[in-house]
Amino acid sequence: MAWFTLIIAGLLETFGVAMINQLSVKRNWQTVILLILGFGSSLALLSYSLQFIPMGTGYAIWTGIGVVGGALIGMIFYGESKDWKRMVFIAMVLCSVIGLKLIT
Amino acid sequence: MYSCLSGLFLIRFLEIIKVEVFAVNRNWMKVFVAAFLEIFWVIGLTHAYDFWTWTGTVICIIVSNYLMITAAQVLPAGTVYAIFVGLGTAGTVIAGFLFFGEAFKWEKVILIATLLAGVMGLKLVTPDKAEKGAES
Repeated sequence: MAWFTLIIAGLLETFGVAMINQLSVKRNWQTVILLILGFGSSLALLSYSLQFIPMGTGYAIWTGIGVVGGALIGMIFYGESKDWKRMVFIAMVLCSVIGLKLIT
Repeated sequence: MYSCLSGLFLIRFLEIIKVEVFAVNRNWMKVFVAAFLEIFWVIGLTHAYDFWTWTGTVICIIVSNYLMITAAQVLPAGTVYAIFVGLGTAGTVIAGFLFFGEAFKWEKVILIATLLAGVMGLKLVTPDKAEKGAES
């Protein structure tokens, strides 16, 4: 159950990043509200999951889903650069973050 | 001869770093300030103990996210979010062993170095006016 809510939290975070993108396409209140709801419910589910899953592991997975998901949605739906260098650097940042979360 | 050449390369390299990495415009500044404030609210979430520290924490959360979101209106959101999360994590780990007596490990230093290298790389490959503006 905790793993399930953790993955949903990660997906909601991805949804939040997608809404940040959406906001630059169409600036309206509905998008702002969806954005706040997305990140808010994501954090709530994360803190629920962290009661059962070790902190470092939980954070690492949550961040991982959010960053990768956000980058993919940006590239697929919002015309962000698909340059391989950009993907390599995002992967570098992401792997370092996951490593830091796991050993801290 | 060899040292002269490598010296030239070094100068060229430093020039690129100076011109490209530190050519910080308004939007990049927002990303960096947002990440810096993130350090404070992450610390605040675990260490805040009264009304004022909680107020400060909430203000940091709001301002930090506001800056990140507005920067992502111009720069690619995927890049901005990765840097925001990355620098926030690095800063929190550094604050952890500077101020909260967490164990110093070499692995942490190496990971922070690769993280910063990734952030600089992203800064380099991101055009200042991302294609978003041209497209929509």
